[in-house]
Amino acid sequence: MPQEHANAQESAQHHEHDEATRRVASEANVDSLDAVLDDIESVLESNAEAYVNGFVQKGGE
Amino acid sequence: MPQLHDSRSRHSTSTQPSATAGGCDRIFGLETEYGLSVGGADRPLDISQVAMTMFQPVVQRERSTNTYLDNGSRLYLDVGSHPEYATAEARTPFDAMLADAAGESIMRTMALETQARLRAQAGERATIHLFKNNADSAGHSYGCHENYLVRRYVDLRAIQTQLLPFLITRQIYTGAGRFDGDHWTYTQRARFVDETVSSATTRSRPMINTRDEPHADPESFRRLHVIIGDSNRSQWATMVKCATTHLVLSAMEHAARTGVPSGLERLEMTDPVQANLEVNELGPDAMIDLADGTRMSALEMQRLAWRVIERFTHSHAHELDASLQGDPVWTPRSVLDAWRWVLDRLEARDIDALAQVVDWACKRRFFARLEERGPVDPMRVAQLDLDYHDVANGTLYEAMVRHGLMRVYADPQQVAHAVHTPPERTRAVLRGRFVQRAQQAGVRHVCDWTQVQVLEPEKRTVQLLDPFDSEGTPEYHDLMASLA
Repeated sequence: MPQEHANAQESAQHHEHDEATRRVASEANVDSLDAVLDDIESVLESNAEAYVNGFVQKGGE
Repeated sequence: MPQLHDSRSRHSTSTQPSATAGGCDRIFGLETEYGLSVGGADRPLDISQVAMTMFQPVVQRERSTNTYLDNGSRLYLDVGSHPEYATAEARTPFDAMLADAAGESIMRTMALETQARLRAQAGERATIHLFKNNADSAGHSYGCHENYLVRRYVDLRAIQTQLLPFLITRQIYTGAGRFDGDHWTYTQRARFVDETVSSATTRSRPMINTRDEPHADPESFRRLHVIIGDSNRSQWATMVKCATTHLVLSAMEHAARTGVPSGLERLEMTDPVQANLEVNELGPDAMIDLADGTRMSALEMQRLAWRVIERFTHSHAHELDASLQGDPVWTPRSVLDAWRWVLDRLEARDIDALAQVVDWACKRRFFARLEERGPVDPMRVAQLDLDYHDVANGTLYEAMVRHGLMRVYADPQQVAHAVHTPPERTRAVLRGRFVQRAQQAGVRHVCDWTQVQVLEPEKRTVQLLDPFDSEGTPEYHDLMASLA
């Protein structure tokens, strides 16, 4: 039926748009994640074991 | 946990239900215990001493490590050196989140001031880490507890069989996630929780505590103390915890009041503690055994709860709208929309979308990226997992926010304002003003949740029994006038 066909077309376009948007968003996110990695450089260079094992806290409730 | 007064024993006024609380109106409160460690010091340090140093300004002023602030909240140094912040009473999820963010800010300030002093003694690189999380490196656990004022006619059985399954499964979107040494879990807290609903306080770790100390008229309300919940950095998660639970409690209150089933009875689990562990490991796909003999995934259980609450919201729009009046982000409709959105994203395994607002997803996406660049030492992963929760010197979460990878809802001005201003339309307004005035007048005073007390020249006490009342009784105004 024409109505269904039009709807299917619309929804296919919508789906493509979603996919494209998602790809762009994904790439932007990867760039931002890399920027985050740059920002935390000082932590990445520190002694992880000392940091982790140095944190011993008596339990609360 | 600090001992709380039983308001019943001092009850000299009428036992009328709160005159200012409409049908679904809620009081929210968030208590957070922080973890404390020091790195980079040039000598071994006693952490209890560091914590005491953090609280020295408080002790100097109050002669106690327990104090109420001019924003109505409570600042406390707990057993085992947990700095703890309990927000003042809030009327809306946004206000609760903002009050919690103010707590982070206050804690950060205290930690950094202490760090400056510490560096004079223990070297330039001494660094305080203040963790808003739920576990240290040695298997100790502590919490972020939610408080909800609930109408008293909701019984303990309903809390166990309807609310608890909702709370266990909501962790699929509220969980903060944790790197457990070799793999990621969805929550921080699950493996440390050993009981379901309890009235005991310090020994066991139940998921929900019902306090017969309702901080309000005991004939009308009880206080639900929810222990099964992670400390979130995500402001969205903090608000959604409160907002969705509020809707569920409203539906349960209506059911208890009318004797008509809520529809949530279907969710009753055969073994909540085991279910909690399953959700911890498998998140939305965890399969849960229900009391009616069927099995459902955690995601399906949340979908069922959503449908029940959606119907309830439709038929009780007026009261629910009123209960969230003043919230700049949430209406009952927008809570339902966000709730459904996150369930849809979970079903689609859309980690990019989830990572904007869900702490476990934010962490997992980040670490997936890190691992694309090369193998990562598990110790490094554990370190960054902790760093994500460090409100004093953390880098990871802050970088996420700065680069638009994690959504924030309260701006720095709002947070700064909330550091010295109580949430609106609750008795926190009265307590905050009292503290401010008593401090300005230099008069020794004490507070707790249900009363304010001046200690000199003679002891004078005023009760604040209605958490919804921000106007104050004549006795309160007399006391305030005497402090002018």
